Amino acid sequence: MDYSQFLLMKPEISLALTLIVLLIADLFMGEKSKQYFQPLALVLFAAHTAINFCDCCGGSCMAGQSEAFSGMYITSNIHVFVKNMLNVGTLLVFLFSFEWNKKENKEHIAEFYLLMMATLFGMYLMISCGDFLLFYIGLETASIPMATLVALNKKRNESAEAAAKYILTAGFSSSVMLFGISLIYGSCGGSLYFCDVVKNFTAEPFQILAMIFFMAGVAFKISLVPFHLWTADTYQGAPTSVTAYLSVMSKGAAAFAFMVIMWKAFSNIDVKSTFVSWTNILWWIIVITITVGNIFAIRQKNLKRFLAFSSISQAGYIMLGLMSGTAEGMGSMVYYILVYLFTNLGAFGIISNIEDKSGKVGMDDYNGLYETNPKMAVVMMLAMFSLAGIPPFAGFWSKFFIFASAAQAGEYLLVFLALANTIISLYYYLLVVKAMFINKSDTPIATFKSDKMSLIGITVCTVGFLFLGFISQIYEQIIAWSFGI
Amino acid sequence: MIPVQFYLVISTLLFFIGVFGFISRKNLIGLLMSIELILNAVNINFVAFNRYLFPNQIEGYIYSLFIIVVAAAETAVAIAIIMNVYRRMGNETVKSIKELKN
Amino acid sequence: MSSYEIFVIVFIMALVMVLGGSVIGLLLSPKSKNNQKGEQYESGIPTRGTSWMQFKVGYYLIAILFLMFDVEAVLLFPWAVIMKGMGVEGLYAVSFFLVVLILGLAYAWRKGALEWK
Repeated sequence: MDYSQFLLMKPEISLALTLIVLLIADLFMGEKSKQYFQPLALVLFAAHTAINFCDCCGGSCMAGQSEAFSGMYITSNIHVFVKNMLNVGTLLVFLFSFEWNKKENKEHIAEFYLLMMATLFGMYLMISCGDFLLFYIGLETASIPMATLVALNKKRNESAEAAAKYILTAGFSSSVMLFGISLIYGSCGGSLYFCDVVKNFTAEPFQILAMIFFMAGVAFKISLVPFHLWTADTYQGAPTSVTAYLSVMSKGAAAFAFMVIMWKAFSNIDVKSTFVSWTNILWWIIVITITVGNIFAIRQKNLKRFLAFSSISQAGYIMLGLMSGTAEGMGSMVYYILVYLFTNLGAFGIISNIEDKSGKVGMDDYNGLYETNPKMAVVMMLAMFSLAGIPPFAGFWSKFFIFASAAQAGEYLLVFLALANTIISLYYYLLVVKAMFINKSDTPIATFKSDKMSLIGITVCTVGFLFLGFISQIYEQIIAWSFGI
Repeated sequence: MIPVQFYLVISTLLFFIGVFGFISRKNLIGLLMSIELILNAVNINFVAFNRYLFPNQIEGYIYSLFIIVVAAAETAVAIAIIMNVYRRMGNETVKSIKELKN
Repeated sequence: MSSYEIFVIVFIMALVMVLGGSVIGLLLSPKSKNNQKGEQYESGIPTRGTSWMQFKVGYYLIAILFLMFDVEAVLLFPWAVIMKGMGVEGLYAVSFFLVVLILGLAYAWRKGALEWK
């Protein structure tokens, strides 16, 4: 065996080392030194993030794609970039949850960090898979620890309920997906490497059936309508930092992996009908997802539930990047996820901060927030504007690029429908802003001072979604790295 | 030798029994069992395809081994969570977990 | 002697051993009759209640742990089949796998999941 191919797996190896070191540290730390665990975990993970970030930007760029383990593991610049994105997001979630861990999660601090990193590891595998086996393992490594994270708050009923819903739907969806994979195995020449599957994929009815099973399974994970029913309950019941993680990282990673698989395994260049077969299905899924997500978001009173439905409709926008099959499509999708990461984490950071301090998550509780906590209210407003896609925030540019890539593929009607939906979304995002700035309340949330860690996190997010749109080099670099069918 | 279609019929039946069970069962453990049924259907598929269509390979066998292992891990976590639900709500039927609504 | 004859001889031997043993036991053993003979478990303690009672949570905990580690052992079988072909590299890979598993067990131990409370 050629051991040098392990060098390609640098992000995975450094994350696994961090994980194992933290696990051993947790095992052998005494009662007194327990308080140092959290800073230690943060420092180690920050080091992991920094090392990989420097490695990505610092010139050691790969030319084209590299394969390891005979095509099982694929990596390229865009893969490494997405992994770095997830690292940054996870670090932000760690910052937001620092105070919560200290106060409410004293007994399970180590578990929180270890499980988060385990899910992240699963997402890494999912992103750079070149084979359905590695994809499945990555998916399950990402979703099983996720369920325990959702159930982390053992004293609350909602947490247990959300976790039960999550693990059962996750298990069901992955088993449906596996049924699809088994049919693909039978009908596409007995190999599960994407490069072998695509050669034998000629859009015969049986293969289309297999593909639909597969798509249904993955659509559960990205929570596309009509496979979205678990989303709102799970998001509402889970601890807020876990919800933030679930809504951004797990969605982004699954969407990227979904795109890679649809392009690599189900788009035979020689047979045009293969590409048409799944873009037609996806067309309808996107339209329904965006519309249903928006319509249900309007009537939500709980902010976590509200953001759950908003994230469903955002997932529909993310899927627009799949329609073109060009490098622009991939680039705009990765860029969309990047912007969505900062914006949504910013919103969740504020929500979790307010929940920590006052225990309130209802939309009505936010009435008059501007009077008591003006800075929080302004940042929340900016995040909502960015989510809705108002210029000049980054959310506008990401929507613009992703619409442009879909229009390039000739999907004008789809782009029109998505545009019409942004207007609906503007309405409900503005509802939050109205609650904070215009509505008066007799019992507004008292003025509070947030802890340093969340402040750092919120600042990073704000800077991210304010200025990401103005730095055109980022988008150009992503486009240069990404690839088409 | 039994033709491969017979295995496909069995596995498809198992799959739909599992899906039906998942939709109609009232007990959370019952849902878990339905998921296991679907996974068994998948395993039958993999092994039958491998044995009949591609006898020189072992990819399908390995895949079904991995499915068994991962399904065990998933079941363990799911049972732990269901036990937690049971302790909190007093019973483990689907009806008991409907607190999270508007 | 063909292999079928060996089979027949083994079959007859098995019959004779089993039947003979039980017949001799029937003839020689002392006989007693009382109500306890009719119970499912002849342990001397009369059974009470139904089997639909609550088990201790610790039982489930141990069972789940057992399930995990038992099934993970499945992954050792493919390695065991081609152990010679894989050589030292296979050994390294499997020992890494086992180290991770043992870490998991150590975690369960350290957190007190193995103690019967």
